[in-house]
Amino acid sequence: MEVLTRAKCLAVAAALVFAVSGQLLLAADAPTENQVQAVFLFNFSRFVEWPTQAFAAPNDPFVIGIVGNDPFGARLDQAVRNEQINGHRLTVRRFRSIADVDNCQILFIDRSETGRLGQILSALDHRSILTVSQADGAAQQGVMIQFATEDSRIRLRINVESARAAGLTISSKLLRPAEIVGAQAKEQ
Amino acid sequence: MNNSSPPIRRTLMRMIFLASGVVLLVTSSAFCAYELLTFRQSSIQQLQILSRAIASNSTAALAFENSDDATVVLAAFKSDPHIVAAALYDVHGKVFATYPQGLARDRLPARPGAGYSFGRTALVGYQLVAEGPTQLGTLFVESDLKAMYSRIELYGLILLLVAGISLSLAYLISRRLQHRLLQPILALADTTRAVAERHDYSVRAAPTGAYEFDLFTDTFNHMLVQIQGSESKLHAQLGRLGLLQHITRATGERQDLPSIFQVVLSSLEENLPIEFGCFLLHDATAKSLTVSALGPRGRRFADKLGLILGATVPIDANGLSRCVGGQLVHEPDVVQVPFPFPQRLAAAGLRSVVFAPLIVESQVFGVLVCARSEAAAFSSGECEFLKQLSEHVALASHQARLYGALQQAYDDLRQSQHTVMQQERLRALGQMASGIAHDINNAISPVSLYTESLLEREPDLSERTRSYLTTIQRAIEDVARTVARMREFYRERDAQLTLERVEVNRAVQQVVELTRPRWSDLPQGRGAMVDLQTYLADSIPDLMGAEHEIRDALTNLIFNAVDAMPNGGTLSVRTRKAMVADGEARVLIEVSDTGVGMDEDTRRRCLEPFYTTKGERGTGLGLAMVYGMIQRHSAELEIDSTPGKGTTVRLNFPAHTSSIISAPKVRNAAVVKRRLRILLVDDDPLLIKSLQDTLQEDGHVITATHGGREGIDAFAAASKRGECFDIVVTDLGMPHVDGRKVASSIKAVSPKTPVVLLTGWGQRLIATNDAPAHVDKVLAKPPRLHELRAALAELVE
Repeated sequence: MEVLTRAKCLAVAAALVFAVSGQLLLAADAPTENQVQAVFLFNFSRFVEWPTQAFAAPNDPFVIGIVGNDPFGARLDQAVRNEQINGHRLTVRRFRSIADVDNCQILFIDRSETGRLGQILSALDHRSILTVSQADGAAQQGVMIQFATEDSRIRLRINVESARAAGLTISSKLLRPAEIVGAQAKEQ
Repeated sequence: MNNSSPPIRRTLMRMIFLASGVVLLVTSSAFCAYELLTFRQSSIQQLQILSRAIASNSTAALAFENSDDATVVLAAFKSDPHIVAAALYDVHGKVFATYPQGLARDRLPARPGAGYSFGRTALVGYQLVAEGPTQLGTLFVESDLKAMYSRIELYGLILLLVAGISLSLAYLISRRLQHRLLQPILALADTTRAVAERHDYSVRAAPTGAYEFDLFTDTFNHMLVQIQGSESKLHAQLGRLGLLQHITRATGERQDLPSIFQVVLSSLEENLPIEFGCFLLHDATAKSLTVSALGPRGRRFADKLGLILGATVPIDANGLSRCVGGQLVHEPDVVQVPFPFPQRLAAAGLRSVVFAPLIVESQVFGVLVCARSEAAAFSSGECEFLKQLSEHVALASHQARLYGALQQAYDDLRQSQHTVMQQERLRALGQMASGIAHDINNAISPVSLYTESLLEREPDLSERTRSYLTTIQRAIEDVARTVARMREFYRERDAQLTLERVEVNRAVQQVVELTRPRWSDLPQGRGAMVDLQTYLADSIPDLMGAEHEIRDALTNLIFNAVDAMPNGGTLSVRTRKAMVADGEARVLIEVSDTGVGMDEDTRRRCLEPFYTTKGERGTGLGLAMVYGMIQRHSAELEIDSTPGKGTTVRLNFPAHTSSIISAPKVRNAAVVKRRLRILLVDDDPLLIKSLQDTLQEDGHVITATHGGREGIDAFAAASKRGECFDIVVTDLGMPHVDGRKVASSIKAVSPKTPVVLLTGWGQRLIATNDAPAHVDKVLAKPPRLHELRAALAELVE
């Protein structure tokens, strides 16, 4: 009996170990939405052109700022580590409020700030900062790029007018796979 | 010629085609290779450009993981139908999107590679997809090679077309050029073929206008000229060789000089040819040349030259003398030669002359003269030919001469043999005749002795008796003469020939009368008429001779003349006197007939004994006896005869002019007066008896003995007794002991006792001077009493 019990015990233990490790492995293999969005966020730096006045000094870093809760954690930092854009070192900064935003090229506005979205956008007012948010309807409200999840895939919605108003040039390549919102989209 | 070797035109065409084909092939291959290489590179470049564009457009899709968009972007590959497959791999190497959409994963490489490369069936390329420095993924593109294959096909077509056109052009151009190049060669080849096939070396290759070809053509023509020259020389040489052989054969068949010369001249005139030819024979002692033969065609020149057969040509100091010296002399133009004979030739219209010596044993015995009316018409080859020919002719002539000499020697030998045989027969005949004569003489001796004795010693004989006895005596003398004549025809010369004065006309008339039956009666019996005419000269001198021999000779001549006229004719006998240069008078007797005459051979042989043209009727001795008579009389015999015309025989005697008469005289005065003791030795009792009777009547004492032995014994016995004989008369031919032995025995006992030998062979002994030793006198039988008396008187006194 004892032996059997011990054997059962071992089998249950092994099954548990396998089950747990399998769960863990699956979690590690399939990138999470946030993980993808972190990469996307970095990728935007390749498809958008900032005017030279966007940088106070030539040696200023290229800053990806986050307002609100940080959904990415260390993943974003990992994504931008040792990366450069046109000679500018990439840096991730987390701002507590919009008022803290000074030198920033890409600003991720977390879903948590949905209530203050108008305030934030007006605060930014024509500054050459690419605004990105995952909040629903963010693009319609004036955020330049919105992550929208469709069929468990992340899609981009781009407000070209906002970007143009901010003096940013979004590459047509980026526009291709994206959904355009704004005046033109309303007309459609 | 090898007919399997292709003509030069085809070979040249092949070469040109091959050369241009190779050049074309190499050029086209290089071009194709270059084009293909370029095409591959441009294919890669095009693919690269396309791939880069697509990759560039795919960056956002990859960056933002929009595979639908990536698929749309990849759909742009539709623009190139050769792109058969394409795929986007993400940065992790996972297939992100494919073209065409839904392409099976196993059609794609598991992991993306790098760069562009040609596979076996496809061009494969990997293009990095990057935005800025960031690599976003890899684009895989696969293009099939149909484009390249179609390009290769196109190139192949173009190549074929170009090859076709260029080869056609090459053909046309080479044809045109070849024509220019080959024309002279082909023309030359045609000429060569014409020469080879027709052996016509007179054709010449025409000049072409190109330097090398003209050089070639000139050389070829020069060669042809040389060949033509050589060939014509060869032909001439062959012709002359043939002629030489022909002439040599022709001369070999002939054995006499004139016919050899004639055939040589005819052949030369016909075949060399020459216009005038003649043979001159060299007379070294007279230093002249005699024309021996003239060519039949060159007669007109011979007439102008005045050369006839037998004419002599003096040897000039020039060519002829050199030729006689043994050299072949060639005068290219006799007009230039200032000597008589060349000038004669020149005057007759002949210009070039060759004198070829005929040499046998280093002696020039003749000259062959060949002439032509053109100057310098004899080539050196012809001169050489004439030299050789003259050697051949000389040899042939020499052989002909040798043959002639041999023939002559043979004839002489046969003649000698004949003569010897004849003499042998004559000797046999003569011996037989002598034997008969001896017996007859012995037999008639008593008749002769008694008749003479009776006529001399019996004066009381009646006239009739005396007449009969005289007739008997004449008959006996005739018998004795006839017997003697039996041997005359082989007798050389009768020393005892009794020459007497002969009245020629009388003798002729006697003979004509004696032979009348023969020339008158016999022919008339046959219906033929012989008209005998005598022309007897008056006052013709007598001649000295044996009348009976002359009569016999004339009789023979008249018989011959009658026999020569079987159908009748005229027979003339004439006598005349002739004077010769030194004043000596001659008496001629001619007997002529108008009969058949004699040919040369018969005329030459008619004097031979036993030679007759009368067959069985003739003895062949008639003319031989005449000739013998002529010889004995120191006369001459001439015979003129023409076949069909008649014959004249002329006897030419010396006339008797001196008064010396050697005719034997009857020496009646020489009679022995005293009595003689005479020993008679004979084996014939009748002869002994008659001799004893007649000599006893003269008063001599006769001792007759029978046979030689008895005679010798009787003489010896008488000598012992001391009653020596005054003289011994002995017969010659006796059995056991003959007259010679008797004479020698008597001379041995008494050398001074004369011995008289009586012989039936007497005349022969006298003729051959065969008088035996110890014999003082030889008397022929039958002994004449007066001869015997004379001998006794001569020997004893």
